[in-house]
Amino acid sequence: MDSQGQTTSLQRLHNVEKVLELAGGVMDELSSPTGPRKEVVQNHCLEFMQLIKDIQGALRDEIKSACEYRPFENCDYGSRIGSEICFKKLEFVMSQLDRMKQTMDEYHAAV
Amino acid sequence: MEENIQLSIDKLPIKRLDAIEENGLERFPPDLDHDEKRLSLIRRIDFAWAVEKDEQKKKQKKTSKEASTPWQWQSMVENLQLAHQELSVIIDLINTVEANDAVTVAGMTRPKPLPNEALSDIAVSAATKLQCYRHVGKYFKQSAKAFEQQVAREARFYGALIRLQQNWKVKRQRLASIAPGNEGFTFDLFDNSYDPEAINRSSALSTVRVEHDAAGMLAINVPPNSCHSLQFGFLGAQPDDILRKSNINNSNLSSKSYLGESGEESLSDDECVKKSHLLLREVHLAIFNEQVFDLVNREAFNSSTGVSVTGIRENYLQLSLGQGTFVFLSLVPSGQDNQKVEGAVTDNVGNAILPSDTLEGVKLQDAKHSIHKKKKWQFPNSLSYEIYLQQIFHEHIFGRGIGKPISSGTRASGVPAKDGSGLLGHFSMSLSHRIFSSKVLAELENVVCKVPYLQLITNPTWHSRTSSWTLSMKVPQSILRMGSHTKTNIAFEKNAVKSQFWTKVVVNDDCINVEREGAPKVVGLFKGKSEEIHSMNRYDCNLADLPVIILQQVASQIINWLYQEALMVGIKANRDFLCLSFELEQGETLCLVAHVDPDDIDGCISWWLVMEDSFVEERKLHIDITDGASEYRKFLGHLSLDLLYATLMDLIGLCSAGGGQ
Repeated sequence: MDSQGQTTSLQRLHNVEKVLELAGGVMDELSSPTGPRKEVVQNHCLEFMQLIKDIQGALRDEIKSACEYRPFENCDYGSRIGSEICFKKLEFVMSQLDRMKQTMDEYHAAV
Repeated sequence: MEENIQLSIDKLPIKRLDAIEENGLERFPPDLDHDEKRLSLIRRIDFAWAVEKDEQKKKQKKTSKEASTPWQWQSMVENLQLAHQELSVIIDLINTVEANDAVTVAGMTRPKPLPNEALSDIAVSAATKLQCYRHVGKYFKQSAKAFEQQVAREARFYGALIRLQQNWKVKRQRLASIAPGNEGFTFDLFDNSYDPEAINRSSALSTVRVEHDAAGMLAINVPPNSCHSLQFGFLGAQPDDILRKSNINNSNLSSKSYLGESGEESLSDDECVKKSHLLLREVHLAIFNEQVFDLVNREAFNSSTGVSVTGIRENYLQLSLGQGTFVFLSLVPSGQDNQKVEGAVTDNVGNAILPSDTLEGVKLQDAKHSIHKKKKWQFPNSLSYEIYLQQIFHEHIFGRGIGKPISSGTRASGVPAKDGSGLLGHFSMSLSHRIFSSKVLAELENVVCKVPYLQLITNPTWHSRTSSWTLSMKVPQSILRMGSHTKTNIAFEKNAVKSQFWTKVVVNDDCINVEREGAPKVVGLFKGKSEEIHSMNRYDCNLADLPVIILQQVASQIINWLYQEALMVGIKANRDFLCLSFELEQGETLCLVAHVDPDDIDGCISWWLVMEDSFVEERKLHIDITDGASEYRKFLGHLSLDLLYATLMDLIGLCSAGGGQ
């Protein structure tokens, strides 16, 4: 589920910093005494919109994955308990097998 | 005031024309504002007298002082004071206007701006706008870093929440008084697919709050020792320390061990999520354990289950299952199992089934025979019954919501009622059976240990109240048959060559049934079906007699086998239950007699060779008759089957040799 290279998928939102920097850049450009340079402003705005689109995409993916989990009607808590019981059974059986092995080893050692 | 009051009379408040133009347009004086009216009214009042009074006072004060050089800032101070007065008047006016919202301005005309004023206005507004832009730009750049950090924090939190949400139900409550950092998320661990009649107790543990830890990451705090685990045990049994301790150490997830590691910044997000997940699992299991305990409590007081309550404390229930078996079920805080168990053992009445005949004769033996001493019977492992109890409750009550089918016929014997009323009875019957069958197994093992040619095989029955074992004995092949490879009657041979004898022990609840192959039927031999060859003998017996009966069955099988061998060779022999006899020439009888003794240390089946003359044919052999006058007895010892076969051949040789003479 997680995108590669990110520990939590929401960390694809690290571009928000860039977004704000771009916005700041645009503001600076507009406030420059010689008047704003059109292409600079345009580039910044384009990049801004692109980043916003990426961020929105990331958020949408996350929300979709959050909503994909089982709705409350299909609760799996019962089978979860079943799994816990199976787990305990496995532990028990393994301990029995270990004891058997120990007995066998003792027997072989004694012989 | 002693002075005269003066009156002044206003002009009538009618509008008077100011001017009239040629085209008839009338000009009226502009309406005064409300404030102007007030001002004019205020002006009308003559405060001269008060001002003069003040001035006189001031003059008196001044003349009393020495004439000082005028302070150079004096005029500025006066100007400021005047400005201050005007400003205070304006402020009062504004307050009055504000308070009195019925005031409307009748009309005002803006003074026409002068050209340079317009330009300077534009310049000022442009400059202000640019300044704002710069300000905003600076704000954006400054807050970029902080914003990114905030987003990263939130991303960690929500990322963890989303991952946990894939397994657990998350609910949100929008609190009015939200503390910063508390968004009102909770994990809901209550399973609403449970049968509503069966569950009474909704645990306080069901709702777990989601909180933030110091780094803003998702954290769950569960009060320590609030999670209980179920513990089942037998009274009077030694606690299975080894088994339990290893399980506890592996699964000890109490939050104590994690809270002690505060300041561990190096815990990655994955580990945080896993830690929270483990905690939630533990709480979820604890809720289930509490519900099982509750149900067992309710069922135990229902007298129809055959189980009676003999002791009850908080989180502890002691039951009697009948036949002197006492068990306990308790809820212990996770991680503290052993102390409770020992307390229970010492406090309560011990079980009466501890066997007393265990260690007799041990001291008389040396180490070589130590493996043959009777094993002390122990209670079966209580952990397995704890798991079984949890499982049957889980399947029959909690598993219903998913539409799981009722357990198949092989397992349940009238068990599943929807509200679980028969479960405890079923459990106690299974448990009683298991205890009984473990005793049966102990007896069988004792026997089989000592007889080298017997093998014990357990047959799985897949039924919780039936157990079955097979004792099988392999006999050596006859020398005569080893050389023959005739292919014509292979089927005949297969059925006739019996190399394995078996005895089956079946335990149903607490009834033991022993079954063995009997004498072969001649008719069946030719039909070729193995079921019809041998008759089945079935006996019921009780636990105390079981070893003797088993040994007798085995010995009689050996006798049968020897009999068959003798017949194959062509010697006519007589077979009794435990005795094979051959006739010698002079009417003497040579008998091979089996003697069984389950307590014999060297082996349970021993053999005697008895020779008797014809006068005592009718008299059956008894071991305790030591009168050796008319019979001759030799103890052969515990023979292996090969030796026994060889002995038989020798005896046969003796008979035929004697017959030949």
